[in-house]
Amino acid sequence: MLKLSNEGKKVVLCDCDVECPNDYLLLNQEIVDPKPIYRKLPELDEAKCVKCGICSRVCKENAVFWVKEKPPMFFLDLCSGCGACWIVCPNDAIKPKEDLAGEFFVNQLNSNLWLVTGRSKPGISETGPIVGEVKRRAMELAKDINADYLIVDTSPGTHCNVIQALLNCEKAYVVTEPTPLGAHDSALILELIKKMQIPAEIVLNKSDVGDRKQVEEISSNFGVSITIEIPYSDELVRSYSEGKLEEMVDLI
Amino acid sequence: MKLVVASGKGGTGKSMMASSLAILFSENVRVVACDCDVDAPNLGLWLGITEYDSTKRISTSEKATINPDKCVECGECFEACQFGAIERTRGFTINPLLCEGCGVCQLVCPADAVELKKVMNGEIGINEKKLGFPLVSGQLYPGETGSGKIVQELRRMAEEFDHDVMIIDSAAGIGCPVIASVTGCDYAILVTEPTPSGFTDLGRILEIVNHFQIPFGIVVNKWDINPSLSKKIENWSGERLLGKIPYDRKVVDSIVNLKPVVYSDTEVTSEVLKIFEKIKNQS
Repeated sequence: MLKLSNEGKKVVLCDCDVECPNDYLLLNQEIVDPKPIYRKLPELDEAKCVKCGICSRVCKENAVFWVKEKPPMFFLDLCSGCGACWIVCPNDAIKPKEDLAGEFFVNQLNSNLWLVTGRSKPGISETGPIVGEVKRRAMELAKDINADYLIVDTSPGTHCNVIQALLNCEKAYVVTEPTPLGAHDSALILELIKKMQIPAEIVLNKSDVGDRKQVEEISSNFGVSITIEIPYSDELVRSYSEGKLEEMVDLI
Repeated sequence: MKLVVASGKGGTGKSMMASSLAILFSENVRVVACDCDVDAPNLGLWLGITEYDSTKRISTSEKATINPDKCVECGECFEACQFGAIERTRGFTINPLLCEGCGVCQLVCPADAVELKKVMNGEIGINEKKLGFPLVSGQLYPGETGSGKIVQELRRMAEEFDHDVMIIDSAAGIGCPVIASVTGCDYAILVTEPTPSGFTDLGRILEIVNHFQIPFGIVVNKWDINPSLSKKIENWSGERLLGKIPYDRKVVDSIVNLKPVVYSDTEVTSEVLKIFEKIKNQS
């Protein structure tokens, strides 16, 4: 990303690892003027509740507890905000209420480079929709400034927060390392990327340590080539641990 | 007793720590080890395990589909879906990758065109023989939803083994599968590294651990890649510090040969032993 912007390209980087966003740290940016991201949670108006319990029956997350002749109890820690309960309520006793789910902030690093960062509120379980919202903001910005590239940094794993980050991307770079761990995990993410029909390339980090045989096997099984190799370097580890990205770019 | 190993940031050394603790505890007490990083389970590899005695496919989520013959194209489902899973192209279809199986589309459909079906979204493997203690390892199929529920099911299966200590290896991050891993634990081991990201993410996982009021200790892994930041984290941790582990490239050889780190001859091993003794006395 730094390399692209140094070449005069306009780049928006979107940190979609909303549970643990780190790009702003590596780029030495502060959290400036964070804007809230809301989700919807149910709120009960007991005066209107007819104590029928339908809300409890439709909830797939078991977040609504109901006993006969009592109003329901909501366990909001379990709630995904899907809205089933307020949709079925026969007397409009349940209303969606905006609840803070996270925040996002934008840093402009130079005339060519923007960073959009999302951060979930700790304790929020369902982080996929936050990723979706942050990405929507980054795409708006990319359009406004006529950016050449939108680069998305995903969280580790293969579930909804990663899916949201990968959605509509035109190219995916799978970063892995030449160990059984790297091989195992890259096969999982490559399977997801294949399902999503995104063209991919493999970046082999620490390419000269360990044993690359297994990663090479996976590369050929999925028909995805290893296009970038970054050899191990003590210098690189040191500059990373000190948060010196410019130095890292020079080393790679 | 339930011990969870968590970190926020990925790649700090959770599974290395969890695998070592499982082996060390098993020398004296009955252990069950759980790999709750169901997105990318690696605890087995750190324990030298690549095969499981039994694997059970499980279903903890549902997916909706729209029957085009019944659909009246009213768009009610499109408006109601909170997850953006309904796509309007020619008619309406559901993107299975985004569907959370909440059933809202079915509730609002006036034409009974939505069907909700259970899907096999993951599997749980058990290896009882190789280690002298059972390893229960979960895997969410890539692209499926319901990682937190797989973690719950995995922990329920692990409870069936007689044990004194349950070691839970959590996923990275602080979301759904992590919360399901940390809930109900007696002690948390938070593994960090001396990088700006490692330190910041330690703060974030700590908010989760404190939310559940779980006692915790901190391990600084690869401390010597940045001694001054390590010192800062150590001071910040105070009496919560369990120990610090040096960076040793021989750990890579260990994992390449699928040999647990505690059996290797590295500087890491002696530090892990010290940390184990401390956890044993504290928890």
